[in-house]
Amino acid sequence: MHEMGIASSILEAVQQEVNRYPGHRAARVAVRIGQFAGVDSESLQFCFEAIIKDSPAAPLELAVERTAGDELDLGTLELEEIAA
Amino acid sequence: MTQVPLEKKVLSENDRVAALLRARLECAGALSLNFIGSPGSGKTAFLERTLQMLPDATRAAVLTGDLQTEADAKRLARYGYPVRQIVTVGACHLDARMIEKHLEGWNLNDLDFLFVENVGNLVCPTSYDLGEDAKVVVLSVTEGEEKPLKYPGIFRKAELMILTKVDLLPYVPFNLDLAIANALSINPDIEIIQTCSITGTGFGEWLRWLALRVDEKQSSIVVGSGTVQ
Repeated sequence: MHEMGIASSILEAVQQEVNRYPGHRAARVAVRIGQFAGVDSESLQFCFEAIIKDSPAAPLELAVERTAGDELDLGTLELEEIAA
Repeated sequence: MTQVPLEKKVLSENDRVAALLRARLECAGALSLNFIGSPGSGKTAFLERTLQMLPDATRAAVLTGDLQTEADAKRLARYGYPVRQIVTVGACHLDARMIEKHLEGWNLNDLDFLFVENVGNLVCPTSYDLGEDAKVVVLSVTEGEEKPLKYPGIFRKAELMILTKVDLLPYVPFNLDLAIANALSINPDIEIIQTCSITGTGFGEWLRWLALRVDEKQSSIVVGSGTVQ
C-alpha cells in the first residue's frame, strides 16, 4: 500500500547520488528488503516501473534482494557514462 | 560502469527527521508513543479513556492521523488536552515530517506525554519512525488471534500490545491464550495489557506502565544534563 512512497524515496536517493557524478546516469539500483519490512517486492517493482516510465531517469533497473530481517536498505548503485 | 555503494536506509530522509524529533522530545522529557492498529481496533476509544483517567496535572497532547475527517480529533478534544488531527488525504501511514509539521507552535517542554494515533493499518505505519520512544500495537478481541502471525512486522517492533474490548470475550470466539502465545512467538519481549475502554478494565495497569516509562525518561534527563535533583 505504501510501496509508491518507498519507490519515490528510492528514486530520490538515486537522483541525489547521480548528481555527484557529472556525465553519468543511473542504470541499476539494488535494494534489500527484509521479510518483516512490510514491503511487497512485486508491488514495489510495479510502482517503481510506473514512476520511472516516461521520466528522464528511464531506463533504470530496480534489483530487489529479499533478506530475513526488517531491512529496507539501498545497496549498490550502478552508473554508466552518458555517451557524448 | 561505475559502482557506488549507497548503503543507507531507503527511508533515511524520514529517519533523519525522526532523529531530530527524538532529540527534541528527549530534551523536553516528553514520552512519545506511536499507536498502531487495524481500523476499528479501538485506538481512539483507548486514548479517550486514557485522557479521561490520567492523573490531574498530567501534561499530555495527542496527534491523531486519518485519511479523511477531523472526527477523531473532535472526540479526543473533549478531555481538555491539546489535540490535533493529521489528515493524510489518502496516505496510509504517518511519517516524521507530518509529526514535525503538526507539532509547530506546541512547546514540548510543557509535555509529559505525546500520544500519536497512527492511521488504522498494521502494515505501512510499521516502516516509518516518528521519533517515538515506543510503538504500541493495539489488537481487539473482535479480530483474529492469528493477527500477530499475519502481521509480524509490527508485533516485532512494538514494545507493548494493548488488547482491547476484553469485555466481549464471553461473546466472541477469540482464543485469548492463543493470541498471547502468537504475539510472544513473534516477540518474546512484548508486554501485554488486557483492557476495555468502556469499563476501564486494565487501565490501572496501563497508567502504571505510563508512569514508569515517563519517570525513567525524565530521571535519565536530570542525570544526563548534570542537574542537581
